Amino acid sequence: MKTPSPLGLWAWFAGTRVGRSIFRVGPPRSNLERSQAMVSSFLLHVQPAKVSRHSLRASYSLGLGLISLYLFFILTGTGVLLMFYYVPSTTQAYDRMKDLQFVVSAGLVVRNMHRWAAHLMVAFVMLHMCRVFYTGAYKQPREFNWLLGVGLFLTTLGLSFTGYLLPWDQLAFWAITVGSNIAGYAPVVGPGIKYLLLGGNTVGQEALTRFYALHVIVLPAVAGLMVAVHLFRVRKDGGLSRPDEPAEDAQSIPLGQLPTNKSYGLMELARGTTPQVGRDPDDEVFAWPHLIFRELLLFLLVVAFVLFLAVFWNAPLEELANPIHPPNPAKAPWYFLGLQELVSYSAFWGGVVVPALLVTALALLPYLDRRREGVGRWFARERRVANTVFSICLVIAIALTIVGTMFRGPNWGWVVPWRTPPAMTQEH
Amino acid sequence: MHRQSLQKFYGWFTALGLLVGVLVGVGYYRDEYRPWKDYQRRFIREEIRRAATPEQRLLAQSTALQVRQILLPELNRVDRCTTCHLAVEDPSYGGYPQPLAYHPLHDEHPFDKFGCTICHRGQGRATTVEDAHGKVPHWDDPMLPLKFIQASCGQCHEASDNPAAPQLARGEQLFETVGCRGCHKLGGVGGIVGPELDKVGARRSPDWLKQHFLEPAAVTPGSGMPPQKFSETDADAIVLFMLSQTGAELPVFYASMKVIPSAAQGRRLFQQKGCIGCHSLGGQGGKVGPALDDVASRRKPEWIVQHFRDPQTVSPGTVMPRFGFTEAEARALTDFLLHQRDQKVALDLPSLMTPIDRGRDVFRKYGCAGCHGPEGKGGVPNPNAKTAQQVPALTYVADGYTKAELRKLVTNGQREIAALDPQRPVPPLYMPPWGSTIKDAEMDDLVAYLFSLKPKGEDLGF
Repeated sequence: MKTPSPLGLWAWFAGTRVGRSIFRVGPPRSNLERSQAMVSSFLLHVQPAKVSRHSLRASYSLGLGLISLYLFFILTGTGVLLMFYYVPSTTQAYDRMKDLQFVVSAGLVVRNMHRWAAHLMVAFVMLHMCRVFYTGAYKQPREFNWLLGVGLFLTTLGLSFTGYLLPWDQLAFWAITVGSNIAGYAPVVGPGIKYLLLGGNTVGQEALTRFYALHVIVLPAVAGLMVAVHLFRVRKDGGLSRPDEPAEDAQSIPLGQLPTNKSYGLMELARGTTPQVGRDPDDEVFAWPHLIFRELLLFLLVVAFVLFLAVFWNAPLEELANPIHPPNPAKAPWYFLGLQELVSYSAFWGGVVVPALLVTALALLPYLDRRREGVGRWFARERRVANTVFSICLVIAIALTIVGTMFRGPNWGWVVPWRTPPAMTQEH
Repeated sequence: MHRQSLQKFYGWFTALGLLVGVLVGVGYYRDEYRPWKDYQRRFIREEIRRAATPEQRLLAQSTALQVRQILLPELNRVDRCTTCHLAVEDPSYGGYPQPLAYHPLHDEHPFDKFGCTICHRGQGRATTVEDAHGKVPHWDDPMLPLKFIQASCGQCHEASDNPAAPQLARGEQLFETVGCRGCHKLGGVGGIVGPELDKVGARRSPDWLKQHFLEPAAVTPGSGMPPQKFSETDADAIVLFMLSQTGAELPVFYASMKVIPSAAQGRRLFQQKGCIGCHSLGGQGGKVGPALDDVASRRKPEWIVQHFRDPQTVSPGTVMPRFGFTEAEARALTDFLLHQRDQKVALDLPSLMTPIDRGRDVFRKYGCAGCHGPEGKGGVPNPNAKTAQQVPALTYVADGYTKAELRKLVTNGQREIAALDPQRPVPPLYMPPWGSTIKDAEMDDLVAYLFSLKPKGEDLGF
């Protein structure tokens, strides 16, 4: 690399004795070195040395899963920083929020980043799920990875929900009160689950302690592990889904017939639907730099966007939590507002049946829908029925969420968002 | 092919890298630039200008820009007001424009022990003007307007005993005389028609309170509270008294400041401790000890104080017991004795009063006048009540009730008030049961007083 470039310095360093000891391979100059670069690095090894051109197409994956992963990284980083200041105590938590805002260097920006990245992660995990559905990517052999994805979606909701309580302001207190009440509507086990979650019948210090432990240890560990397996399975299941995948009985190549002129020959020992099987090598490019550079760019883009939000918009912080002064209406976090809207019609249907059915249906989906047509294409004609059903559910969920978010005022009555409701005097 | 596609990446990397860099820069600037630093620079410039010696000048120049705060763990507060208000303790800044003005009262209320927000309210942890002064959304406790600042004295000091807070004393006096307790409980004493007022000062804004006194229905639709006809100053005074009722439970150090010696407190002690059993004032009282009317001309103040501390030290052999008064109590009693003439303090000792006079006090104490009017003359509106849409006057209760019936009525109250028009809302005011509040002896006096309201010479009418 003769021309001065942002990577020039790095390339020079990687070529030095020290750099070589770290990276094992210097700046890759041949195809052999390009694949070695991937295989030699712990961080890059999770990805293949060569990827299909189709997988690089932004219009196919939209990068949604990767964006979710990056948001998870940002959340971990900012979360650790916030932990340096946060105290999970009902008498101190709120004050710590104020201190972050007023005296801690960059405290406000870090909190803002954490808050906005959390909302974005919930949104992007949902979008990622929609992408996977509309491209039929959950089908064999990726059924289990879809199941993991459903688990990750629930874990993401759990992370967001447990984090919601931690500022200990009115917003936090009453959103968690409403949210945990929805959990309590389940027959037989509901009250028990609610009690277990809150460590009592109402939101208090016990709930804050539990939510904190869940938020900073349990759920991140679960999510991290599941993300690792999720990515591992993406790789093992043959990379991103593509049209015209090999059938299950794709022939495995006997060891003796392995071509010897390829630098990545050993890869082909893998059985089944690895990227190398039944594929024209011309259709593939080296992950370094084609995939890695794109991933880095996307990371920069996500960081830039979250920073942009965090610098110009502050995370909400309302009054100190006051258990005897509920806001009217008290609303759950936005991703539960569709459920809350349903609950307002029927606690049993909205709080129990619908969410239970939805999660069950999502989990069983790849095992029920076993036709293999239309995989790897958006809105494939062959999948018209499935797509229509999914779209209808999606539109209903979005509509309910919008209604719950914007059109519900005091006493869950109908309000029109562009008209300010009359001032409420809460007289004793 | 590689090289060409890589060129494309470089452009993107540069652009996005720059974007992230710019955003980090903007974030850094917004974090680093804090308005309080401007105020501190202004203060340092002023200090440098005033420096008389090179040492002072050097000291001023080396002042670091930093958040300053008063930690008040007992009050669970952190007040960072002095980050901008840097000269509150420096009298030479008297008359300076804010935020560099000097704050008096420093000796009585050392700021490192009291902070600022315990009196001024606002948001002590905040370090921007709007947030700190508390006039922002989601902050319940904005700064108290200075004209109501005496309300804060009432958190620690007895309202009536603080000569430095005349408005507060006036507010309390109004509260106790216009009859607020007839409907509202305060400190556990009062009626149940309206809400309790123990924490009203923390809950309501000055504007809301004022409006509520002058035109209750305007801020609380359907309120049955009769509009009050206060003068501007009286309205402010009673608003101020309401604001002082924050219900804040202050830790021992602050609560122990409750008593500041005053003649009024001395007067109360004089009654409570039974001084009148041995001494007399204005001809009332015992003859064992000397009369105290002219004690101020006979004794020096130091002698009187010492006499309260330990009578034997100044008057050997005296039969007056040592009461164990606190220093504040001894000074309050002395104050009372020295100033009893100036203040024309009538003792009104209950044991020496007639039942009717005592009953009048009961009538005032429990706020009966709030609904039945001063001296029970009536005139307070109670919309849609059959009794001329007013709370009935009490002038002629002696004609309608026996003493036992009247006693029963006051004890049990009357929840249902006959409506003039059944279609309209029920009358908002009603008679609460007073049995658990008004003591037996008080009830006797009250009934005697109510019977006495009937004008003389009208007995012969039937």
